[in-house]
Amino acid sequence: MDKILQSTGRGHSVTVTNDGATILKSLHIDNPAAKVLIDISKVQDDEVGDGTTSVVVLAGELLREAEKLVATKIHPMTIISGYRMAADCARNALLQRVVDNKKDAEKFRSDLMKIAMTTLSSKILSQDKEHFATLAVDAVMRLKGSTNLESIQIIKKAGGSLKDSFLDEGFILDKKIGLGQPKRIENANILVANTAMDTDKVKIYGARVRVDSMAKVAQIEVAEKEKMREKVQKIIGHGINCFVNRQLIYNFPEELFADAGILAIEHADFDGIERLALVTGGEIASTFDNPESVKLGHCKLIEEIMIGEDKLIHFSGVEMGQACTIVLRGASFHVLDEAERSLHDALCVLSQTVNDSRVLLGGGWPEMVMAKAVDELARKTPGKKSHAIDAFSRALLAIPTTIADNAGLDSAELVAQLRAEHHKENSNAGIDVITGSVGDMSVLGISEAFKVKQGVLLSATEAAEMILRVDEIITCAPRRREDRM
Amino acid sequence: MAAMAVQAPRSSKTESYVDNKRKDDIRMANIKSARSVADAVRTSLGPKGMDKMISTASGEVIITNDGATILNKMEVLQPAAKMLVELSKSQDVVAGDGTTTVVVIAGALLKQCQTLLHSGIHPTVISDSLHKASMKAVDVLTAMAVPVELSDRESLVKSASTSLNSKVVSQYSSLLAPLAVDSVLSVVDPAKPDLVDLRDVKIVKKLGGTVDDTELVKGLVFDKKVSHSAGGPSRVENAKIAVIQFQISPPKTDIEQSIVVSDYTQMDRILKEERNYILSMIKKIKAAGCNVLLIQKSILRDAVTDLSLHYLAKAKILVIKDVERDDIEFITKTLNCLPIANIEHFRAEKLGYADMVEEASLGDGKIVKITGIKDMGRTTTVLVRGSNQLVLDEAERSLHDALCVVRCLVNKKFLIAGGGAPEIELSRQLGAWSKVLQGMESYCVRSFAEALEVVPYTLAENAGLNPITIVTELRNRHAQGEINAGINVRKGQITNILEENVVQPLLVSTSAITLATECVRMILKIDDIVTVR
Repeated sequence: MDKILQSTGRGHSVTVTNDGATILKSLHIDNPAAKVLIDISKVQDDEVGDGTTSVVVLAGELLREAEKLVATKIHPMTIISGYRMAADCARNALLQRVVDNKKDAEKFRSDLMKIAMTTLSSKILSQDKEHFATLAVDAVMRLKGSTNLESIQIIKKAGGSLKDSFLDEGFILDKKIGLGQPKRIENANILVANTAMDTDKVKIYGARVRVDSMAKVAQIEVAEKEKMREKVQKIIGHGINCFVNRQLIYNFPEELFADAGILAIEHADFDGIERLALVTGGEIASTFDNPESVKLGHCKLIEEIMIGEDKLIHFSGVEMGQACTIVLRGASFHVLDEAERSLHDALCVLSQTVNDSRVLLGGGWPEMVMAKAVDELARKTPGKKSHAIDAFSRALLAIPTTIADNAGLDSAELVAQLRAEHHKENSNAGIDVITGSVGDMSVLGISEAFKVKQGVLLSATEAAEMILRVDEIITCAPRRREDRM
Repeated sequence: MAAMAVQAPRSSKTESYVDNKRKDDIRMANIKSARSVADAVRTSLGPKGMDKMISTASGEVIITNDGATILNKMEVLQPAAKMLVELSKSQDVVAGDGTTTVVVIAGALLKQCQTLLHSGIHPTVISDSLHKASMKAVDVLTAMAVPVELSDRESLVKSASTSLNSKVVSQYSSLLAPLAVDSVLSVVDPAKPDLVDLRDVKIVKKLGGTVDDTELVKGLVFDKKVSHSAGGPSRVENAKIAVIQFQISPPKTDIEQSIVVSDYTQMDRILKEERNYILSMIKKIKAAGCNVLLIQKSILRDAVTDLSLHYLAKAKILVIKDVERDDIEFITKTLNCLPIANIEHFRAEKLGYADMVEEASLGDGKIVKITGIKDMGRTTTVLVRGSNQLVLDEAERSLHDALCVVRCLVNKKFLIAGGGAPEIELSRQLGAWSKVLQGMESYCVRSFAEALEVVPYTLAENAGLNPITIVTELRNRHAQGEINAGINVRKGQITNILEENVVQPLLVSTSAITLATECVRMILKIDDIVTVR
């Protein structure tokens, strides 16, 4: 289910989201222990991108079980060492059952598709998850192994519906082409710049020019225009046919560019400029005195396209083949924002998986496997630690329980069935929420990345440990202001 | 006889850390508030729909029938209700018309969802079934649609009239509808027959006259006076027009400067130099043969001074000043000329040519009309008149809706009947389809079908007819195969709506259904509201 985040600040903006990290980041929380939980969610988001809700749920369950143990007078340190042993054992259990398909490109791609669909199934894009999973996988495959998601740009345009979103293999800039300029350039050399093209002001405040006649003022004016003209000439002298500026390009230079047949784009925002420079292989220039030292960007074709009602500029055949743009269309801004967040999650997970290609089945299967292994460990361990290990195993069961609860199914019944299934060797059973019963995850194609699960497990355990170790909260004295004499 | 009300167990939760009741409360509160927004605009639907008068905090008063405008100006605080406002805006962006319809459909869908939730169906299940139902609905609508060609002006005019029928300016629809159609057809680019940029049609409002005096101008209209202060010409034939972006005024550098004089002969010299400077500029302008100047507003310094105006008048050049920077693109496209940013670049090939530039007195103000432009770009201007400001604004909005309707037809060249006919047909077909589905889905799709009946219901209600009689009669007719039977509000009965020329573009209906479903699905999935910083 989603949550509405209603902001009490300026603008009273409303966000609708399912992503755990987004919800937690925006909460008012005073209690420091709770802040720890919010932090682990953020870290999970930064590192892996998905599993932000799972990590908090697991940490919460671990603490709940620990509370019961503390009530039976078991020392927190015992609980912590028990948890650590259990976490290790769980991780090993997973490592043994992991599947790695890196060698087989076909299977790898289908793995990626399954992971993408699983990630998206809890979000608003769940209805069109096939479409978006294909989009995400295509985009990530183009990255060819780098985890730099900078080169994938996401553009949102209201109108149409989610199905109309598409992946474009070039780079799209959300700007219009200036007046009187060619609307289409082939084999473009692009100069990306961040310079003021309106007036050349002297940056000394209060600088003034004193002359004694009007003619001199006219001369100065002409000189200023000459200066601008020279600047434009220098820029043209780089041998370019497209000039992208982060700041404004005023009328006079715009006209000079148009006369020279050069495409001039103004007011591209910082983000766009950086990405454009990255993608076309150019450098951002601020001065134009050394044409040799400035690296120009290249692309095969620049043209103006229309999406919905707006005109945008499309750069295709860019040097950095990894770049691509995903254009999202949707009913309203809330839908678009949430779609962007979900897609971002999916892209993060996929790019991590391309590096670390170990894959697990989903739907509560890894938790059951871990719970079974940890259970066995508990039976073998003498001493009070085994209570803690037992508690860990119970906590792990919380995730499939929650999945079943949120689906409106009878969670106690299903989890019990699952456990029985897992008692058999090498079972692939997990919860199938569509039919509301236990199903075979490999047949249903529900997979998750190993890195995600590992992150969830380790972060949750560490957070629970940290909170358990705390026995007192000390408020810092307020910072004393130094006396100014 | 223990007639205990059987509470369908919603879900057996073992130990839930989320309060069940709170989730329900929030969901119900969301649905209720969204429905109240929908109810607020319900009475504006259809040709007999009423308008709303909106008085803003600043004292501004607006009278309108357009759903998107009403919702926009309403101060909605509840977040779920805000989503309905966004919904209306998106419908405006996509289709331009049907903004009231989409909100009414969303409200009806939410009402049905309330019933479904009470009977214990899980929101995700409802959401999935709604999605399936909306996809099928789009298919059914596409099958019902009649293809139309852009050369068939009649059908285009018919659909534009239908859109205008529900607005205040409906009596003038015989004038405005063909106007809308002609203006859009004239800006359609044959190279890109599926795209129309409505920014190529400029609407200029001028108070005075009545809506009857609205006209389509094949040229440019400026809501400005010609600069008279120096007594220049106010009417030029065979005009050569230049659009300039520089300033005809004493030179001013970008650095702060001041002229220091030490005795009075120097003062004299300064004045003379200023005069010569301006005179030389104007000579250059005149040498290029230009006789009309459009001067862009400048933030750096005065665009023109009295002295320059005087010289321009003497050179018999008509001057229009203070043109906005945003308008320059439209103007240059229309005049097929390029803006000139510097006096050095003043060349004859950058000028535009027109047969006549004149100033006309209209109402209590003056406008400047440029007609007979050579090689005119694909743009038009519509001059809208009205007797008071409120009527004028509403006329502009209605005209915009009509333009959007024609644009929809350019995008997707299909028409369907209006008057509630497609909704009842959809309802019937979806109801039949639901019978072959299994499980909860069937129940949900049936509710979707029932929800769609709200459109003809509201149309009849607003017209003062008995809605239940009308809707059941409609259903009957449709079941007998008359798929084009709809409500004729003028006669107060059911007739073949296609023959009555009440048609609407397919895009308006399909996008209304898909957008409303997406919005409702989003509202269903929300189970908590969190206040954040």
